Amino acid sequence: MIQIEGLNKTYHTGFLMRPKKALTDIHLQVPQGIIYGFIGPNGAGKSTTIKVLTGLLNFDSGKIQVAGFSPRSVKSRTRLGYCPEQPYFYDYLTGRELMSFYGRLAGLQGKELEKRTEWALNLVHANKDWIDRRLRTYSKGMMQRVGLAQSILSKPDLLILDEPMSGLDPMGRRDVREAILSLNKDGVTVFYSSHLLSDVESISDRVAMIVDGRIVREGSIDEITSSCSVQYHIRTGESSSNLSLPSGVKPSSQSGEWICDNAAARDVFIQSCLNAGISIEKIDHQRPSLEDILTEEIARAES
Amino acid sequence: MQSLSHIGIIALNTFRESIRDKILYNIVFLAIGLAVFSILLGEWSVFDRAHVIKSTTLTIMSLSGLLISVFVGISLVQKEIQRKTVLTLLSKPISRVSFIVGKYLGLLGVVACHLILLTVVYYIILFVTESSPSLSLLSAIYMVFCEMAIVVAVALLFSSFSTPVLSALFTLGVYFAGHLSNQLLEQVQFVKRMGEVEGFGSVLMEKMAIIIHAVFPGLYRYNISSNVVHQIALPDWYLFWQSLYALGYIGLFLAIASWWFNRRDFL
Repeated sequence: MIQIEGLNKTYHTGFLMRPKKALTDIHLQVPQGIIYGFIGPNGAGKSTTIKVLTGLLNFDSGKIQVAGFSPRSVKSRTRLGYCPEQPYFYDYLTGRELMSFYGRLAGLQGKELEKRTEWALNLVHANKDWIDRRLRTYSKGMMQRVGLAQSILSKPDLLILDEPMSGLDPMGRRDVREAILSLNKDGVTVFYSSHLLSDVESISDRVAMIVDGRIVREGSIDEITSSCSVQYHIRTGESSSNLSLPSGVKPSSQSGEWICDNAAARDVFIQSCLNAGISIEKIDHQRPSLEDILTEEIARAES
Repeated sequence: MQSLSHIGIIALNTFRESIRDKILYNIVFLAIGLAVFSILLGEWSVFDRAHVIKSTTLTIMSLSGLLISVFVGISLVQKEIQRKTVLTLLSKPISRVSFIVGKYLGLLGVVACHLILLTVVYYIILFVTESSPSLSLLSAIYMVFCEMAIVVAVALLFSSFSTPVLSALFTLGVYFAGHLSNQLLEQVQFVKRMGEVEGFGSVLMEKMAIIIHAVFPGLYRYNISSNVVHQIALPDWYLFWQSLYALGYIGLFLAIASWWFNRRDFL
């Protein structure tokens, strides 16, 4: 559904138009029918990539296909729904008038438009009293729901969402998650960016991690996490302050707990504990979460 | 066909947005107030009262149309960009050309409504003051509309790439240059004929006046109030040719605005 090959984008900022590389050699393939999470720190290039895909930004070089067309072509947007981060709309319109405006731009009219509006508002739990109020009175959460509703009004094949859960309360996040899953069940491909990594882990089929304008990891959650070594958390019984730590072992933030980076370090550490007469109370193994991996990648990029 | 529909939807939305603008009402009420004030001007003037009322009101129409174009029109595109409503709008299957043309037609609709309202006020004043209202005045009002159609296109062109303040200054500049370019050329040629400036200076002055006259839209062509008020006949097909002239400039300005808008990044 989305194919990106060798995408590069440079911004020219300031009076002297100094170049600043925003995206470097991005390669992405988003197959049809999946939920694809796009994660990275602030300023990594998530929104830039999304805006290139929606035709809002031009790009320097690379080959991009969105639903079979170049994002520069109007045709690419006929099968596309998009909700920007912190969506803003015409605040003199009511929520329902806004839906009607965007629906007509998407080619909907009359009964069909009404039907679709009801469907979209129901899906994001926005079909309430406030939908007939002017948008200037809306809270951030209400705006986000209306933003999502307008993006699905045309029943797109591809839905691109920029931080759809940012600024929402837990109920709102759950509603958006459920809406994404429901749309995906109906065959909609969803490509979205998010800071909320627990949500990304729970609903995404595949994930791409972008740091400093480069894709650093790509794959399913399992593929990404299993590519990292398992960590072992060991809790010791008595004081072990005099214990000399073998390489690959570091103290945890909790007293009496140790983190071993691999199985060999674990075995050496356990042996040395037993030799020193220190009891082992608990051994736990953990795969790093997306957050751990992202933090590690950010640290690597900064170094 | 789809593009026409998009243009219509954007134009209607622009119209709805503009008529909620408080500045618009200030300009409209100021124009109506000044039109009514023209009755007093007619009374005080040493010239014929009807002539003063007619020419003053036509000037008010032109200037208030300019103010609407500058203060309402210029912020239209910038507002979309600054409030980021443009992100959602341009992610729909509409071309950026449709966006620019839709915005233009929406604002032109506002100016047209303003002129219609002032025309009604104008005729009421003429009836009340028994200043021989005639239908021929409508041709002068139509010319004001054509002039405003060009000014709105200029305002939209500048607002597609510049800040509101600069766009306002540029638009006012084009308006005054367009009104004065003919006089400037005539003056320069007169001075040259009289031999007051000679040599390279004279050639340079004349060339610059010719360039200004050629580049800026000749808005002076649309000021036919003296012809209409004093019942001086216009050349045959004058309105037709001036309408075509306006269409040419509008097309050119909108094409440049669309081309520039197409190149823009929206962050």
